[in-house]
Amino acid sequence: MSRKLILALVAFVLTLAACAPAASAPQPAAINLTDGLGREVTLGGPARRIVSLAPSNTEILFAIGAGPQVVGRDEFSDYPAEAASLPVVGGSFGGYNLEQIVELEPDLVLAAEINTPEQVKSLEDLGLTVYYLKNPTTFEEMYANLQLVAVLTGREAEAQVLVESLRARVKAVDEKILPLSYAPVVFYEIDATNPNKPYTAGPGTFIDLLIGRAGGVNFTSLAGITDPYPQVGLEQVLVVDPQIIVLGDSMWGVTAESLSSRPGWDGLTAVKEGSIFPFDDNLVSRPGPRLVDGLEQLARLLHPEQFE
Amino acid sequence: MPLPNPMRRLSPFTLSAFFLLLAAVLSIAVGSVFIAPGDVLRVIVGALAGSIPPELEKHALIVLSLRLPRTVLMALTGAALGSSGAAYQGLFRNPLADPYLIGVASGAGLGAVIAMSIQWPYSFWGLMAVPFSAFLAAMLTVFSVYLLARVGRTVPTTNLILAGVAFSSFATALTSYLMLRSTGEVRRALGWIMGGSTQAGWDAVLGILPYLVIGVGVLVFSGHALNLLQFGNEQAQQLGLPVSRAKTVILVAASLSTAAAVAFSGIIGFVGLIVPHILRMWWGADYRRLLALSLLGGATFLLVADVLSRIVIAPQELPVGIVTALAGAPFFLWVLKRAKNQGYW
Repeated sequence: MSRKLILALVAFVLTLAACAPAASAPQPAAINLTDGLGREVTLGGPARRIVSLAPSNTEILFAIGAGPQVVGRDEFSDYPAEAASLPVVGGSFGGYNLEQIVELEPDLVLAAEINTPEQVKSLEDLGLTVYYLKNPTTFEEMYANLQLVAVLTGREAEAQVLVESLRARVKAVDEKILPLSYAPVVFYEIDATNPNKPYTAGPGTFIDLLIGRAGGVNFTSLAGITDPYPQVGLEQVLVVDPQIIVLGDSMWGVTAESLSSRPGWDGLTAVKEGSIFPFDDNLVSRPGPRLVDGLEQLARLLHPEQFE
Repeated sequence: MPLPNPMRRLSPFTLSAFFLLLAAVLSIAVGSVFIAPGDVLRVIVGALAGSIPPELEKHALIVLSLRLPRTVLMALTGAALGSSGAAYQGLFRNPLADPYLIGVASGAGLGAVIAMSIQWPYSFWGLMAVPFSAFLAAMLTVFSVYLLARVGRTVPTTNLILAGVAFSSFATALTSYLMLRSTGEVRRALGWIMGGSTQAGWDAVLGILPYLVIGVGVLVFSGHALNLLQFGNEQAQQLGLPVSRAKTVILVAASLSTAAAVAFSGIIGFVGLIVPHILRMWWGADYRRLLALSLLGGATFLLVADVLSRIVIAPQELPVGIVTALAGAPFFLWVLKRAKNQGYW
């Protein structure tokens, strides 16, 4: 008897507890987070009107389903296509149009490492809520960024699904690449404004990490370069003689032909064997979810036999 | 004289003040967000009366926290560059002199880039690190150039110019090296070097105001000394001017105001070079007038350039340093071509 009563009571209390949140008005809990500059950022609830100041931020927002909450973007945010129709708030020459940002009445401005502390301060002084997202240096940090932005925008569930699928895709690449014993040496060209001394990516960059993860050896590690973005001469490239050249600057018009016609470059093995590949640099230089696309495409380039 | 007839009858000061006022109004009224002139007026009247109509709150933010401080900062910067330019040209008796001649800009640039290469904590002092370091490096550069150029108790102007140019090249080379070596800060440094206000709000205005008041204040009253210096050092000395001291005072005052202006606004070229020349062509080379007129003219010129920088490729903004040279050079050549008074220098 008494046991039945207790059970009934427990059931009753549980029902009440379950009803309580639904019964009161849906008051979103305040969000308190520390941003990449060590600033305390407080939001009354998930952001509804967001201005993104960097392409990576825009890609993150759209990837976790917060695209409809974005009301403004920087000039370089060109992905996904839906972002293109949003009002532009500047970004060229490193400057932003503060008047335009105020006019959009955002409840969150999502800044990135391309923004200066002065810009964050200026926005803050205008009474805007600014969150500064630090660049990730590993996949795990990138997932953490996705989840941070998800908290700010109330998209935790979507972000969780996304992170799990990204993890699975990275794991799939790892499973194909890790057993391999052969790792080609890769020269990743970022910029050849001066074709005799192009820029490449060195240790500490995501490009370096992705090359390794895709089953390659970055040219810079064999050349003994420690700079993150070194400018290298033909001599250094010739000494290491990479097997594969990836043209991250192909969107600026550099092609396998134009590289091969640089004086002296025809002595490289990669040039003789035609192992020069154009590549979408946005996949490896924007610290967002498309880094996983970049990893998959690089792995396909370096080990095509594994993906047949 | 290229000035239209009726303008010639007005005093140069009335005319300059009028144009400065016009430029300031333009700078407050024009922006990438359109605000009706009536609303701008209501915001300003409301702010003065202490109550802003609630429907204008957003526009009040734009006018009072963005446009007004920017207008004041640009006017102060232009005033500093204009008057320092006139003073340097008089001091060196050289039409090519500008406020950056003896290393203020290259020193400030080096200081700024050094400060940018360090990760400062996000705090008041962390944010002040760049302008402070730029200001300090600019003053140190001028001081070193002064010491290097000194021969006994005199400072020959030729030595000053040569030491300044050599020191500038050295500092610029170091700046370029640091920019190439740095990873993420090139955009920031480049933006600073091309000129334009980097930090919105009143902090920058308050930061440079004391130096400008002292520096420009001294310059405005050194017209008589500069007039005497035009006769050459010996004659000026015979006319009763303590030449060495006067030169040092003018040099310090001009450098102080230029360094303060550069620290917050970046390196804005051409203002300090052409504004004094244009005014000299219009109203003569009497430094007692020219210094004050260059102050007003520099402020007006930079305000107009800044307005242009906002509207040319709106909603993007051009760095104002590009506009001053791009729009300023043709304007200067036009004035030069039309000036009947070719022996003005």
